[in-house]
Amino acid sequence: MKGLILKDFINLGRSFKSVGVALVALAIIFIPMGNESFISGMIVLMFAMMVITTMSYDDTAKWDTYALTMPITRKEVVRSKYLLLLMLDLTGVVLALALAFVGSFLKGTGITVETLLGILIILMIAVIFGSALIPLIYKFGPEKARLMIVLCAAIPTAVLLIVAKLNVPFPAIGNEETVFGIIMIAMALISLVIFFASYFISVKIYQKKEF
Amino acid sequence: MNAIEIKNLNKSYHDFNLKNVSFNVPKGSIVGFIGENGAGKTTTLKAILNLINRDNGTIEILGMNNTSEDKKIKEDIGVVLDGCNFHDSLKTGDISKMMASIYKNWNLSVFQRYLKKFELPENKTVKEYSRGMKMKLQIAVALSHDPKVLILDEATSGLDPIVREEMLDVFMEFIQDEEHAILISSHITSDLDKIADYIVFIHQGEILLNEEKETLLEGMGILKCSEDDFRKLDKEEYIRYRKNQFGFEVLIKDKLALKRKYKEAIVDGVTIEEIMLFYVRGER
Repeated sequence: MKGLILKDFINLGRSFKSVGVALVALAIIFIPMGNESFISGMIVLMFAMMVITTMSYDDTAKWDTYALTMPITRKEVVRSKYLLLLMLDLTGVVLALALAFVGSFLKGTGITVETLLGILIILMIAVIFGSALIPLIYKFGPEKARLMIVLCAAIPTAVLLIVAKLNVPFPAIGNEETVFGIIMIAMALISLVIFFASYFISVKIYQKKEF
Repeated sequence: MNAIEIKNLNKSYHDFNLKNVSFNVPKGSIVGFIGENGAGKTTTLKAILNLINRDNGTIEILGMNNTSEDKKIKEDIGVVLDGCNFHDSLKTGDISKMMASIYKNWNLSVFQRYLKKFELPENKTVKEYSRGMKMKLQIAVALSHDPKVLILDEATSGLDPIVREEMLDVFMEFIQDEEHAILISSHITSDLDKIADYIVFIHQGEILLNEEKETLLEGMGILKCSEDDFRKLDKEEYIRYRKNQFGFEVLIKDKLALKRKYKEAIVDGVTIEEIMLFYVRGER
C-alpha cells in the first residue's frame, strides 16, 4: 500500500509544481488585500482535488487492472486513496497555516482566531468533499464523475444562496462561544462519519468491480 | 504437477460467454493460449487473476485456490498485460521503489540486470519510451520478484521480430527451472510454434483444442485433393475442410495413417496458424 501512495505522489509531482506557482500568484494578489483566509481555503481545496487527479491518472494508464495482478487486495487499493486524501488535506492545511502566519506577520496583526477556525472549517469541507467524490469515481469512472464534481460543489452553494436569500439568520460567530464550539465539534464528527461511511461504500463498490 | 488448473470455468456477459473452460498449465512447460480477438483469451486470463467475478468453476494456482489465497498467489506470479500500465511520468527508479514495497521478493539487482539487457534507459520517463520499450519494461518488472508462474497476455504483439526473438529467449531461460511455468496468450502463432509445449485453442468462449504441440504438428497434416477424392474420405479421418478454386484443402487428424491408406495422397505439414484457420473458417 505504501507503494501505491508513493506512486501517487510521484505522479502528482508536476501538479505540485503548478499548484505552487498558482499559490505564489494568489498570495501576491490577496495577502496585501488582507484576504489570507480566502487563499487558505483555496490551498486546502486544491490539495483535496488532487486525489481526483490521481484517480484519473490511474484510469488513463489502466493502472488498477495491473495493480490487482500484484499482491495488493482491493481493500488496500481503496484504502490508499483515502489515506492519500487525508495526507493531501493535511498538507494543504499546513501550507494554509504557514501562509496565514506569514500574511498576518507582514501586516503585523498576529494570527486571528477567525483565520484558524476558517482553516479548520475548510479542512472539514475538504474531507467531506473528497469523501463524496471517491465513491462516485469508483462507481462511474473519472470521466462521468467530472460532471458530478460540479454538481457536488453547485448543490451546497445553491442551498446556501437560497438560505441567504430567504434571510434565515446564521448562527452569529463570537456571540455565544459555547454554541460555536458545539457546532465545530458537531461538524468534526459529521465529517469523520462521512469519511468512514464513504470508505466502506467505496470498498463495497470496488469489490464488485470487474476489470 | 500443474502450475495452473482451470476446471469448468463459466462466465456470461450479455453478448459473450465462456463455456466450461478447463485446461492445465503443467510445471516446467509453456502453454500457448490462442484464439481470435474476442474469443475469450483475455477473459480467461482475467478470471485466473481474479479481476472478474466468474459464474462458476474453480481455478488453482500452485495448488492454491485463486480466490481464497489471492494475495499469496500473486507474490509468485509475474503478469504482463496487453498495453502499458505504467503512468507516463514514472522512471524505472520510481517503479523499482514502488515494487519494492509491493512485492516481498522484489530484487533490485535482477531488475537492473534486465534493464541493462533490454537496453531500457533509466533517465527517461515511460512517456518517452517506444511501444516495444514499454513492453520490455513490463516483462522486466514481471521477472524481477522471483515469480514461479508468468501470465502473459499478448506480451510479444507490439514487438519487432528481433526483439520478439530476444523475449522468447528470456522466456525459454525462465522455463529451464522445472518449478516454473508460463501461460502465454498470443495471436502471433509463429512465436508459439517456437516456444510452446502445449497449445490451448479457444473459439467463441469454448476450448476447441488442448494438445501437446509436438503431437499436433506431427499428427496433423493438410491434404490437397479434388472433390472426388475428398468424397472418398471417411468423416473420422479429417477435422475440417476448405474449398477453393483449385479443389479441396483438408485438415487431417493423422497424416501417417492417411498416407498408409492412400499411397498417392499429398499431405503437407501444418503450422499452428493453419490449424487455427481451419478450425475457425473451415467446414466440418
